[in-house]
Amino acid sequence: MNIYLDYQSSKPVDPRVVEAMLPYFHDKFGNPSSLHAVGDVATKTLEESRAAIAGFINADQEEILFTSGATESSNLGLIGYAFRNKNKGNRIVISETEHISIHNIAKYLEKNGFSVSKIPVDQYGRVAIQRIADRVNDKTILVSVGYANNEIGTTQSISEIGKFCRDKGIVFHSDAVAAEGLIPIDVQRDNIDLLTISSNDIYGPKGAGVLYVKEGIRINPLVIGGGQERGLRSGTENVPSIVGMKRAVEIMQEEMPGETKRFQKYRDKLIENVLKTIPRCYLNGHPTERLPSNAHFRFDGIEGESLLLSFKDKGISVSTGSACSSKTLEPSHTLIALGLLHEEAHGSLEITFGRYNKEKDVDGVMEVLPGIVERLRKLSPLYKEEA
Amino acid sequence: MKSTQYSDKVLDHFKNPRNVGTLEGDDVAVGRVGNPVCGDLMEFYVKIKDGKIEDIKFKTFGCGSAIATASMITELAKGKTVDEALRITRKDVADELDGLPPIKMHCSNLAADALKNAIEHYRTKQKPEPKKGRDVAEKKGIAGIHEFMDQGVYTEVTDFSVFKDKRTMVIDRGDRSMEVALELTKQTPRVVFVTQEKKMAAGELSERLSASNVKILYESELLEIRGLKTVEKVLIHDLNEDEEYELFIDNIVILKD
Repeated sequence: MNIYLDYQSSKPVDPRVVEAMLPYFHDKFGNPSSLHAVGDVATKTLEESRAAIAGFINADQEEILFTSGATESSNLGLIGYAFRNKNKGNRIVISETEHISIHNIAKYLEKNGFSVSKIPVDQYGRVAIQRIADRVNDKTILVSVGYANNEIGTTQSISEIGKFCRDKGIVFHSDAVAAEGLIPIDVQRDNIDLLTISSNDIYGPKGAGVLYVKEGIRINPLVIGGGQERGLRSGTENVPSIVGMKRAVEIMQEEMPGETKRFQKYRDKLIENVLKTIPRCYLNGHPTERLPSNAHFRFDGIEGESLLLSFKDKGISVSTGSACSSKTLEPSHTLIALGLLHEEAHGSLEITFGRYNKEKDVDGVMEVLPGIVERLRKLSPLYKEEA
Repeated sequence: MKSTQYSDKVLDHFKNPRNVGTLEGDDVAVGRVGNPVCGDLMEFYVKIKDGKIEDIKFKTFGCGSAIATASMITELAKGKTVDEALRITRKDVADELDGLPPIKMHCSNLAADALKNAIEHYRTKQKPEPKKGRDVAEKKGIAGIHEFMDQGVYTEVTDFSVFKDKRTMVIDRGDRSMEVALELTKQTPRVVFVTQEKKMAAGELSERLSASNVKILYESELLEIRGLKTVEKVLIHDLNEDEEYELFIDNIVILKD
């Protein structure tokens, strides 16, 4: 068996994307800043890509900045905005379940004179407007809430959060990396001022990302150099990867409706079977307001890294929020924010579907999961058979 | 090196752990060591006869290397004299397994400590008892209780529907509080029951509570309620480990005595 069920961590590049990229390594190698014909080809490609990606999120071409990926986009959006607008205020609000990169950017801003307040989420990982309202005042310049959570898959009412911020005159950033390609994103409808997306999360190459900056919003650059991207992100544009991202967007626009329906079928089948088959097992995240591709469980009495290793042995790639599998040996901050205890966060299993999964992959999981759970529970001093 | 990059020997002991289980009898001593940071827990059962470890079994809640180190030390200790067994170090265990990822050397390599703990218990002819008991938990006030009254703190429950889908904590105040916790499970999947007891007293109510979806925190007390305007988090004191930790919660029911 060889089943990949960790699409949230990394996605293969679609072969159609690879094909679109190939000419840009050798034949069309120009630098968009050059004024000759070879450079003109690159300029044209760059601007066509910008337009295509703008269309994907209902933005204007001028509102799209190319970066090296999602992490850089969030850095540029949050740090760039905060530094440029510190005369307006020094308070920043983020949700407890933001991606770790946003938490660490917030920490950096704290070290640089900003004050950061974190919005607690409910037991399903949802952010309530009231909790944001409790935290903002006239010194608040920026709110960041992710479109969907990368671990538990819970989605947010982004357009309502965006509207709340807009009414208050606060700039709203959303990290849409987990959601892109799975939920239609519309920066107009969603009242978003700054948006982070990446190329790899829609089956494009790694090394390209976009920061959407709404017209009229001013940010400082973080990378200084030759003045590319309107001076906001210097450095020769990564044209092959940008072309790849454009192609990925085109494919996504065509295939997303059918694809998400397919994932949802797999997800629902898996969730139903797991909860039915395994005793003392729970779904993490929201039962319905969740990404169509995401199933996230926890099992009483067992630990996630052991689960992961057992799956690995059977040829199945999955993920876990367990402390034992993380670099810092800390349990997932998202699971803790749901109100789970450390040992509960420990026993988590994350399964995310993607473009190359088939329905039989769900059957593959169900074939081995009951045996794995039973074996690990027999080893565990925390699991007693009483319930 | 990734934290899960294990040697073949570690993987072998993870997949086929030796000497899993428990032992019973007067000549059996139990050792228990936990890592409070990550929640790993190891239990060892040793049967000692004529100064030698005649039999040894273990149970482990933890990652791959936690399971493998426990399994390995049972092989190393079996048949050895007690003194020899006491000399087995964490490093010996790791070496026998052809090494562990550096980050795992301390956190999950608890087997030598757990074995030592079991032998010590044999020597003092005692089963493990929590070091700190309920005597620590004097009746002191809960910080924030007045501030959050009606902002998430309830001293009585008349309308259960206000708890719909809320993470709710119920503080042990006897039978009535157990009834409330059970009733709340109809409204929300997350009910946490906090008691200073080590286990529930026998009785129909407590049996129903143990069998329900209510998460019971034994040997624990509520120290402080935190939040901006409404209850958002609580600080819990684990009396057994003498540790404090935060827990996200929406509502707290503290019935009047």
